[in-house]
Amino acid sequence: MLLKIEDLRLSLGGNRILHDVHLELRGGQIYGLIGPNGAGKSTTIAAALGLLVPDGGSINILGQTSGADDPDVRRRLGVLPEKNGFYDWMTAEAYLMFFASLYSQPLTQSQVASRLTKVGLEPRAGQSIGTFSRGMRQRLGLARALIGDPALLLLDEPTNGLDPRGRREIHDLLLDLAKSGVGILLCTHLLDDVERLCQRIGIIVNGKTVAEGDLGELIRERGHLSRFHLRLAGELPTDVDNNGISSIVAREGEWLIVEVDAGTRPDEIWRELLFSGWPIVEIRRNGGGLEDLYFSLTERVAA
Amino acid sequence: MNATKLIARKEAGELLLNLRGLIWLMAVAVALSAFGMLLISDTELSLLDNAQVVYDMAGIVTALGALLALIVGIDAVAGERERGSLVPLLLTPASRGAILGGKLGGVAIAWAVMYALSLPYLWAVGSTGQNMLDGMLVAALLGTPVVLGFGFFGMGLGSVAGSARAALLVGLVTLVVSVSPLLLGPSLRQSAIGRMFDAVNPFSAAVNAYDAVIIDSQSIVAQSFHMLVAAIWLVLTLVFARVSFRKIAR
Repeated sequence: MLLKIEDLRLSLGGNRILHDVHLELRGGQIYGLIGPNGAGKSTTIAAALGLLVPDGGSINILGQTSGADDPDVRRRLGVLPEKNGFYDWMTAEAYLMFFASLYSQPLTQSQVASRLTKVGLEPRAGQSIGTFSRGMRQRLGLARALIGDPALLLLDEPTNGLDPRGRREIHDLLLDLAKSGVGILLCTHLLDDVERLCQRIGIIVNGKTVAEGDLGELIRERGHLSRFHLRLAGELPTDVDNNGISSIVAREGEWLIVEVDAGTRPDEIWRELLFSGWPIVEIRRNGGGLEDLYFSLTERVAA
Repeated sequence: MNATKLIARKEAGELLLNLRGLIWLMAVAVALSAFGMLLISDTELSLLDNAQVVYDMAGIVTALGALLALIVGIDAVAGERERGSLVPLLLTPASRGAILGGKLGGVAIAWAVMYALSLPYLWAVGSTGQNMLDGMLVAALLGTPVVLGFGFFGMGLGSVAGSARAALLVGLVTLVVSVSPLLLGPSLRQSAIGRMFDAVNPFSAAVNAYDAVIIDSQSIVAQSFHMLVAAIWLVLTLVFARVSFRKIAR
């Protein structure tokens, strides 16, 4: 277990910010921590990092209960904080070299270049950070988080300010890292990112974990299957094989409304259906899945 | 290179390579130029005794140094926190002590640069007299703990205050109160309260030592009481910075 938080409670200035927050993250997993603005996601990360002192509960990070106070823990930890500042007068290359030296592993220029290539910043290596756009700063922050080859990454809104291509590149990078055994805690409000990347999620509302577990199981348990509209060019084959589709909800003219099991990849289902003769010409996502789960949980608690 | 040196070098970069730092240094140079020019060209001031001119210049260098150190100290913690660059630094494996040491080193570098910048001005106004070298020496010996103390005080304030602006406000008020011996008339300084304040005020200790060495031509070694006051100020502010910075790390 890379990160385990149990019954975390924290107050700031007399206001209760977190109560009964819990999560579990293992190596190779990408965990999505989601919730409305002000729900306590970033505060949870700050507490895990030892930047805020909890009132109660337990935090076990990389096997240590003393949190990120331990230098060995910080050495194996990569963090992209919510407020991500830089030294604008430095070049991207000098900035990474500075941080690498603080990790007691000075990098050569080629090693810095490879880190920058990973996040798509290699052509900007010699450019002053002051001239960087928000998206470029986000990429540089990610490169900094990766300096110590971390076992655990805590990322607060890592795709903020990125264009679609940049977002895709960062997604691919995170998936590669998870494949290599890195555990990633992704704190975000972008449900698309969570659906694409995360196997496990925790939903925090008003400082409390209201749902936690395997993404597919949570959606199945609570009946929020992904819903799609399929436009058909003709009739369905007589011997219909519903491979992968949980249920056909309704037929509205040339549109068929179907629900798909959250544990399966929709693109694979469509391929199977096309092979079995379904005359599908257009597919539209229409709610369901994580989005419905999120809204139902956040609305219920807010009410 | 160890973490303390790396961070001190980074802090020096903030002062010497960053536009914000360069603007502060430029402002200090302009203030010293204006004051030096005034001492040389003003009809009445140019009649001052040479030792008096060096004494005045040493006082202004110390006051400007304390101002610069205070700003650098506050910016090193509260400024970085507001810009979001402090947390990534705190989350590196570098110990809190090493980070604090590096930032204290940054304050020392700022004073070293400021002092080096002031030497030509001290030479310009004092080269025709006898006490210029003594003035430079006593400004280094007494000015250093006073100025560094203000820098450490700024770091402590930056750690505990809610914002850089609040820290700056408290720091500036403290600095103005401390440098008041430069502003108050001699009769006020001779009152009971004035004498009491003079005895504990590190800035007064420095200025009184300058007076004794530059104007009265006393030995620097004889200024041990003033040195003790300045040293106590330095130690107290260092403890304040350490305790406050430890809190910010948690």
